[in-house]
Amino acid sequence: MHRYKFVLYRPLQFLPVLFGISVITFILVRLIPGDPARVLLGTRATPEAIARVRAQYGLDEPMLAQYFYFLRNLADGEMGRSILYKIDVLKLIATRIEPTLTLVLCSVVLSVLIAVPVAAIAARNQGRLADQVIRIVSTFGIGFPPFWLGLMLIILFSVELAILPVSGYGNTLSEKLAHLVLPSLTVSLSLSTVLARSLRAAMVEGLKSDVATAARARGMPESIVFWRHVLPNSLVPTVNLLAVNIGWLLGGTVVVETVFALPGMGQLLVRAIFSRDYMVVQGVAMVFACATVLINFLADIVTVALDPRVKL
Amino acid sequence: MIAALLKVTDLTVVHDGDGGERTLLDAVSLDLAPGEVLGLVGESGSGKSLLCRSLVRLLPSSRLRISGGSITLSGRELTTAPEAEMLAVRGGEIGMIFQNPSSHLDPVMRIGDQITEGIRFHQRLDAKAARAAAVDILAQVGFPDPARQYDSYPHEFSGGMRQRAMIGAALSSNPRILIADEPTTALDVTIQAQILRLLMDIRARRGLSVILVTHDLGIVAQVCDRIAVMWQGRLVEIGEKRGLLAAPAHAYTRSLIASHPSLPEEDMPAKAEKLRTPGAVPVVDIEKLHVRFATGGLFRRGAVDAVNGVTLRVMPGETVGIVGESGSGKSTLARAVLGLTPVSSGTIRFDGTDIASGRAVLGMLRRQTAMVFQDPYNALNPHLTVGKMLAEVLRVQGKIETAQIPARCGELLDLVGLGRAFLDRKPRSMSGGQCQRAGIARALAVDPKLIIADECVAALDVTIQAQIVELFRELVERMSLTLIFIAHDLAIVRNLCQRVVVMHRGVIVEEGRSEEVFSRPKHAYTAALIAAVPHIDPDKPLLAPSKMATPQAYGVAN
Repeated sequence: MHRYKFVLYRPLQFLPVLFGISVITFILVRLIPGDPARVLLGTRATPEAIARVRAQYGLDEPMLAQYFYFLRNLADGEMGRSILYKIDVLKLIATRIEPTLTLVLCSVVLSVLIAVPVAAIAARNQGRLADQVIRIVSTFGIGFPPFWLGLMLIILFSVELAILPVSGYGNTLSEKLAHLVLPSLTVSLSLSTVLARSLRAAMVEGLKSDVATAARARGMPESIVFWRHVLPNSLVPTVNLLAVNIGWLLGGTVVVETVFALPGMGQLLVRAIFSRDYMVVQGVAMVFACATVLINFLADIVTVALDPRVKL
Repeated sequence: MIAALLKVTDLTVVHDGDGGERTLLDAVSLDLAPGEVLGLVGESGSGKSLLCRSLVRLLPSSRLRISGGSITLSGRELTTAPEAEMLAVRGGEIGMIFQNPSSHLDPVMRIGDQITEGIRFHQRLDAKAARAAAVDILAQVGFPDPARQYDSYPHEFSGGMRQRAMIGAALSSNPRILIADEPTTALDVTIQAQILRLLMDIRARRGLSVILVTHDLGIVAQVCDRIAVMWQGRLVEIGEKRGLLAAPAHAYTRSLIASHPSLPEEDMPAKAEKLRTPGAVPVVDIEKLHVRFATGGLFRRGAVDAVNGVTLRVMPGETVGIVGESGSGKSTLARAVLGLTPVSSGTIRFDGTDIASGRAVLGMLRRQTAMVFQDPYNALNPHLTVGKMLAEVLRVQGKIETAQIPARCGELLDLVGLGRAFLDRKPRSMSGGQCQRAGIARALAVDPKLIIADECVAALDVTIQAQIVELFRELVERMSLTLIFIAHDLAIVRNLCQRVVVMHRGVIVEEGRSEEVFSRPKHAYTAALIAAVPHIDPDKPLLAPSKMATPQAYGVAN
């Protein structure tokens, strides 16, 4: 099992990465023009009041000192207090993480469930009608912006057919899932086209490969050639594409959560940026960064599991 | 005469292209008796592989189709059989193995599972019984520990073992005919001998008929009963091997036999040896060279000595051949000489200057040496015409005036026998031999003192090989070149080189004048290498299995 040894020592490499991310988010947040105290107190605040709030949140200290506090808090498992919500940033994030996490998870699962059969149909009918139709539809899928797609889905399923909720999130599990159908569909309609295209290309190559020829020469029917030889070999490059896209997807939740009014991290991030809530922006950025690092780590594990030649 | 197992009559395959039909197989007829080994020879593009694919109706492109003739297997017509019936024929009655086991085995599937797959599908055995059968087959094809190796993946094995695995997969459904398409071309001679022996062994044990496709007449002379010669899509000659080799009827067969680089028994006339001026400076002077590569991961570091203490001197005008199996360190040695691989210890002097003494020396080295590569297509930039490619080298070298570059390009092409018409051609529109000539022209453009050719004919057809070797011979004589010629093909080295160096596991085990080394090898490893070369004379068989030890058995004296 020494091929999986990297699972033990790779997390050590996360430390410098996370340190770098913390520096960058810390600096970037403070490069946003504006002052949280001023935003909090409004335009008619007295300079004394502003100074008091600044002192309260440590914003009057030098940048380096602020960063030091930020790091010290991180080490204690804290990310400071939200200026806007007046509660601990981690607690705040904890209340918002579930919708985002479920949205990403559902979207990814749905995308894979759409992409694999679609790519398989296209690849096995290369150049024929089914392939052409899929190509055209997927070009539209890539071309339409997610927020527009989302709005169209709302009009169709929620307004016209009235079978799914328009927006928001629920309290019970079934409510929550019902509210997640359209957002996930929105995300996966664009994500699955990207995946399906890559997968189709790999499958078309795979069907022409020597491996497929050898399997056919052993008398294997096309279905075995495809599902047992072509598909597993095609998945390897697509896993990495998926990982890259999940990272991108985390940023994309900002748009989708806004369109569907999902109380997730994306929405929180937007509001925090507008109110210069440094601690929250930092916190959410850190969580997103950690998630991206973690997803790539998982993708590496999946790649190693799929391809016995890969050593990390 | 026993009734034919497989009978092919007037088989014609055409390509439906934009410019109309093109006939690729033209009325090919042959038959195969039970237990017979038929050798199918011809150069690339002659239709050998296409014929094999047509027999099981696995044509490589949808634009190809069988337009006429018949294929009967035990009286059953295959050209019109329904696809479901062909599934049972493929693998079940006609098995196939291919040239490149690395690309034909599924890299993400366990070796054993690839064998089990066929057993389960054709014989409908359950998982456990199929696994047992697969383990048995692995043992038959020479896996020393089949129960454990069942669970290994292809990349964990050497090329020879992968080919054994592929033979195992082909045998899994008990076929009556085995089509072997260049099964040993990608392998070293000693491994080739082992695989050929395995094939003959299996044929004897199972009463298998074999169609062996190869470009090597030595192999057919050694293992086949009859030979069929293909040329430009037609079967030009077929017959019993001794008769055919002794009295070839077709002109192409004659040229094929003539260009076969067999190792002659009698001493060849000594090659014109340049007078060695005493005290002349060697072009290349290698002393106690070690090249070590790190292996392993973060925690367990190891090192492998690719070149392990080599001392070698090459005088001006000499042609030195370096032979050895893959992994013997011959390419690493060549790369080290050109400064392309960091040296662990030892010195390399080029023309008296240590190449490790600075970047300036390395620049000088690059201006005075050139390399010709194994794969003629991939070594050329596909976007450049031959003329542009040569002009680029000449411009970078700066040895001649810009105005004279076009003229010089023409000269270079004349020199390698391509002619000026090739100035505007791109690699895509050229044959392998033509590409290699262009590669040699590029090497000559530097006006080098030393050319290193690394397996530069290995990818070419036999007749083309002979032409390229002849070109090298001419160039060496005409231009007082020093040539280091790396090859695994002993016969070619013997024909071309004055001196030969035999490498094994990073060490020179023997060196000397070609005639002497080849006719009276001193080291057991050299003898084993020579013995493994299939001779074109059927009456000079490969060594008997008992005498044919694996090369690993030879200890290497330091």
